[in-house]
Amino acid sequence: MFSVVICDDSLVARKQVAKCLPDDWDVSVHFAKNGSEAIELIGEGKGQLLLLDLNMPVMDGYETLKVIQQQGFATRTIVISGDIQPEAHQRVESLGALAFIHKPVKPDTLLGLLKQHGLFDQQSESEEELERLDPAIRDCYQEISNIAMGQAGDHLARMLNVFVELPIPNVNLIEMSELHMMLTDIEEKETVSGICQGFVGPGVSGEALFIVSDSGVGELAAILGLSGDIDDRAQLEVLMDAANILIGSCLNGLANQLDLHFSQGHPMVLGQHYNIRDLINTNKVRWRRTLAIELSYGLEGFRAHCDLLLFITEESMNIMNAKLAHLLED
Amino acid sequence: MQQEEIQEFHWMMTLLQNVDVGLVVLDRDYKVKVWNGFMESHSGLLPSHVRDKSLFELFTEIDRDWFKRKAWPVFELRNRAFIIWEQTPYLIRFPNYRPITGSEEVMYQNITLSPIVSPTGNVDAICLMIYDVTDVAAGKKALESTQVALNETLEQRG
Repeated sequence: MFSVVICDDSLVARKQVAKCLPDDWDVSVHFAKNGSEAIELIGEGKGQLLLLDLNMPVMDGYETLKVIQQQGFATRTIVISGDIQPEAHQRVESLGALAFIHKPVKPDTLLGLLKQHGLFDQQSESEEELERLDPAIRDCYQEISNIAMGQAGDHLARMLNVFVELPIPNVNLIEMSELHMMLTDIEEKETVSGICQGFVGPGVSGEALFIVSDSGVGELAAILGLSGDIDDRAQLEVLMDAANILIGSCLNGLANQLDLHFSQGHPMVLGQHYNIRDLINTNKVRWRRTLAIELSYGLEGFRAHCDLLLFITEESMNIMNAKLAHLLED
Repeated sequence: MQQEEIQEFHWMMTLLQNVDVGLVVLDRDYKVKVWNGFMESHSGLLPSHVRDKSLFELFTEIDRDWFKRKAWPVFELRNRAFIIWEQTPYLIRFPNYRPITGSEEVMYQNITLSPIVSPTGNVDAICLMIYDVTDVAAGKKALESTQVALNETLEQRG
C-alpha cells in the first residue's frame, strides 16, 4: 500500500498535516519527529511520499533532502514549512523536492499538488485491489464460503441453543497493511480476545483467526450457562469452545467442497483483552498478499458478535482453483 | 500380497506404539478401547488393565461433566475439539517427562479430540490425543514472570 511519512518536530503540526490528507485516500501514514527518523522509515521501504518540515532538531529538512538524493531513494517529497523566504523555496527544489507549501497547510492545496503529480486519483487503491481477483473466482470462493459458513452457523446454534444470524461472507485479496485496517474495522473501541489456528491440506494452507469482543465473551458465557465469577480462565474456555466449533465446521465445510482434508495445528491464544491492532503486530514481516474470507456471526437477541477470518496463502489458490474448476466452467 | 498387508499393519502398529504422543480411543461410554505406548509408559497402566474401563474411573482427576461438554461436538457434530494447556494444565496427571532437570512437577498437555467416523457414517468412538507441551508452558510462564518483574522495577524507578 502507498505509504506517507509526515516529518515534523511538532506534534500539532504532524496532526494538522495528517488531517489534510484526502479522506478517501487509502494510505498508511507514518510519523517522524526529525529527518533522521524519516530516513529510517524510508530505509524500511515506507514513505513513497514524504511531507517534510524544514526546521527540526537532529536532522533538518535540507539535510534530509540531501540524504535522500545521495542514497537514491525513490521517495517523492513535498516540503511543508513556515519559512516563506523565496530562497528556501529555490533551495528545496534544487534538492529534489516536488513542491513547497506554506504552513498552515490547507486540504485543497495539498489535494491539488497530489493530483498534479499523479500521486492521488479519486479511485481508491482498495478498489483496484479487488479487481485483481477475477470476479468469477471470487464468486466461486464466496459460494463455497457460504455453504461452509452455513454449516458452521448451524453447529454453533446447536451448541448454544440460540438462533445464529448468518453473514454474507466477504472474500478479498488483501495486503499485509490492509489486514490492520480490516481488523480495526471489526472492533473500533472495544478490547478483544482472539484465537488463531493454522491449517494445512495438500497444497492449501492458511490460518484461521477467531475474534470476540470482551463483552461478547461475557454474553457467550451466559448463554452457555456459566454462572458465578467469569475469570480469565472461564473466558478462555468459552472462547475455545466457540472457536473450535466455528473454525472446525468451516474448515470441514470447505474441505468437503474442495475434496481434501485439512490438518489443524493446535490453537494459539493471541492474548486476552488486547487492543486489536496489537494482536497482529508480531509477524508483520512474513505477511504477504493473502486471500481473506471474513465471516461475522451474530446471535439473535444478543449483542455478541464473533468474527471468523480465514486467511489462505496466495499459492494455495492455484490448487483451489483447479479443485473448483467444475464450478467455474459454466 | 496378504503378507505385505500384514507387514504394513505391523509397521503401523509399531509407529502408534512408539510415537511420542498419547493416543486413546474412547467409545460413547468413554470406555478405553485403544491405549498406546505413550499412555502406558506415563500412566504405568497396561492396555490390558485399562481396556473397557471408563476413563473417569481410571482417572478421577478428570472433571466428568466438563470433559463430556468438550466431547459433545466431536460425537454429535463430527467436529474436532482442541483443549490447550492455558485452559487446563493437564487432562491426566502425568509426572514431568524430565524428572531431574524439568522445572515443572507435572506434564502440561495440549489435547485434541477427533471423531472416528464408522463406515455407516456414525461416530461411535473418538480419538483422544495428548501432546506434551511442558517446555512451551514453562517457557511462557518464565517469560510472563520476567515481564511482571521488569514492570515492577520500572514502576519503582518512577
